[in-house]
Amino acid sequence: MDDLALRNLVYRRFVELGRAPTMDELATTEEALGRLHELRMVVLEADRQEIRMAIPFSAVPTPYRVEARRRSWFANCAWDAYGILAALGVDGHISSSCPDCGEPIEIDVVDRRPEPADDVFHVLVPARSWWEDIVFT
Amino acid sequence: MNLFRSEEHLMRWLATTRRQLGATISSKKLCELAHAWHAGTLSPDWQPRTRDESQAILDRLGLTHDFWQLPR
Repeated sequence: MDDLALRNLVYRRFVELGRAPTMDELATTEEALGRLHELRMVVLEADRQEIRMAIPFSAVPTPYRVEARRRSWFANCAWDAYGILAALGVDGHISSSCPDCGEPIEIDVVDRRPEPADDVFHVLVPARSWWEDIVFT
Repeated sequence: MNLFRSEEHLMRWLATTRRQLGATISSKKLCELAHAWHAGTLSPDWQPRTRDESQAILDRLGLTHDFWQLPR
């Protein structure tokens, strides 16, 4: 299986399972996943044994949960929460909370528009440095 | 990359965590950005974007400040 085919399989399985597929489930090798990591097609955990991100999907629980088609996924950040719905091509619901006050932030996305739409998105790291530490970004 | 209830909440969080202000956009614009960025992510024909193609997406949405410049 070439790199693109493996990358697409990782994404398909992520959508189906609601979590990251394991190496066994992908019937692949550490070397093959390592290549995808180097190509920034997935992000592996530090030990390179498991997938941490297939952007916009997160393999670990985060403050950004996305529901659509009666299923749910964790996103890596607010951008990726909208990104999951965009990737799926569906409307859905995003559940999060304000990092300042902890109050829930609940957003419906209908016809590709958020409701409410007045929350503020903050990016801490400049774009030139996003991939220096993509997990922190 | 977080969502805050308002600018006031963001500023308080920055002060509390002793972090610098980065860049902000509205949730509405973020939704537009995410759709432009990720619409083809699950396509079987997906191909990696070049740096310039990604920058063009940011530029089209008016994110042209130095903060939004991807590395060359």
